[in-house]
Amino acid sequence: MPRLEKIKYEPISVRELFLEMKNLSELMIDLAYSAALFNDKELAEDVLEFENRVDILTYLLGMEIMIAARDAEDAEALVGVSKVASAADKISDAAADIAAIVLQNIGVHPIVSAVFEKVAERLTRARVNEDSILIGKQLGELDLAARMGVDVIAIRRNQQWIIDPKGGEQIESGDVIIARGAPHGSKGFKALAEGKLRKLED
Amino acid sequence: MSKKRRKKFEELVERFVELKDTSELMIDLAYSSLLLNSKELAEDVQKLEQHVDKLHTDFELLVLSSGFEPKEGKDFLGLIRLGVVTEKIADAAAEISEVVLRGIKPHPVLKLAIEEAEETVTYVQVAENSVLVNNTLRKARIPEETGMWVLAIRRGGKCIRPKPHTKIAAGDVLIASGYAEGEEDLKKLASP
Repeated sequence: MPRLEKIKYEPISVRELFLEMKNLSELMIDLAYSAALFNDKELAEDVLEFENRVDILTYLLGMEIMIAARDAEDAEALVGVSKVASAADKISDAAADIAAIVLQNIGVHPIVSAVFEKVAERLTRARVNEDSILIGKQLGELDLAARMGVDVIAIRRNQQWIIDPKGGEQIESGDVIIARGAPHGSKGFKALAEGKLRKLED
Repeated sequence: MSKKRRKKFEELVERFVELKDTSELMIDLAYSSLLLNSKELAEDVQKLEQHVDKLHTDFELLVLSSGFEPKEGKDFLGLIRLGVVTEKIADAAAEISEVVLRGIKPHPVLKLAIEEAEETVTYVQVAENSVLVNNTLRKARIPEETGMWVLAIRRGGKCIRPKPHTKIAAGDVLIASGYAEGEEDLKKLASP
């Protein structure tokens, strides 16, 4: 049983705390499915670390809400925030459940993974081929979210995962990239990474 | 592997993907219901929750009747557990929408955070001079043009769930989700 750390009050705004919870919980879901379907233990462990982070955020948010409520009216307005935050926490727990499937060696049938890669529209895994036009480009300059509605959530490089890479991250040959986004964009992105599509549309 | 078995797997995965996609759509819709303080959207989420319960039962039955070998048991257990997770996610979405249905006015902080999030939900009104007017959603190619996908359309006080053949009318409010970067493009498209 890992030792649980003591949580001390920190003055962080409710907006910031909830924003991080929302972003993390949704990122975790995508990472966790990727871990399960591509049978990746390290990715699964990252998900568990995020789960711990969301738990801490839930406590901090609870404290912040208690401090913010001065009267019944405030309390009525804020109880909704607390409910929604607890739902985000549940979503992160669900992601951790998926990660546990991988870490407990239960796994998913390899054929399931194979079929999944074909039919899934929101989640793609692609290896960057040496002739891909993405090589040497920074995520920020590619601006995939605006261009094709796709977001890179993890990059596998030198036997390590870079999770939620920032705009300055440069794509290298041999990277394995997990991206999420609109169906049309996901397909286009895979083709770009694999060098089958040689032009970046505006 | 036999063709029949391959087909069985394909069906299993398709059902799972439907569960997964529906539960994730529900999260987006639930946050949209908060953003707009819309009881209709919140009710849609509740309806979808019931739908997911049914999908999930069908999925579990399908897994259990797929005639797997004893040594494959673990792999199929993984599949069953993935199904359980989609249901948990659907439940969480339903809880978010419950806040709206209970008449609690969503706190401005929630609205701010939803608009600021990496994956955001947004809404735009379609102007009369927009190229979208009188086009079907399929023809409008909104995801291709903007990276945003339309979750719901509010028209005359009602929310409708879009289908590819749904025609867009001037005055419609499109509720869409995607990455914040696509928001500007969508706004340009809808109200130039």
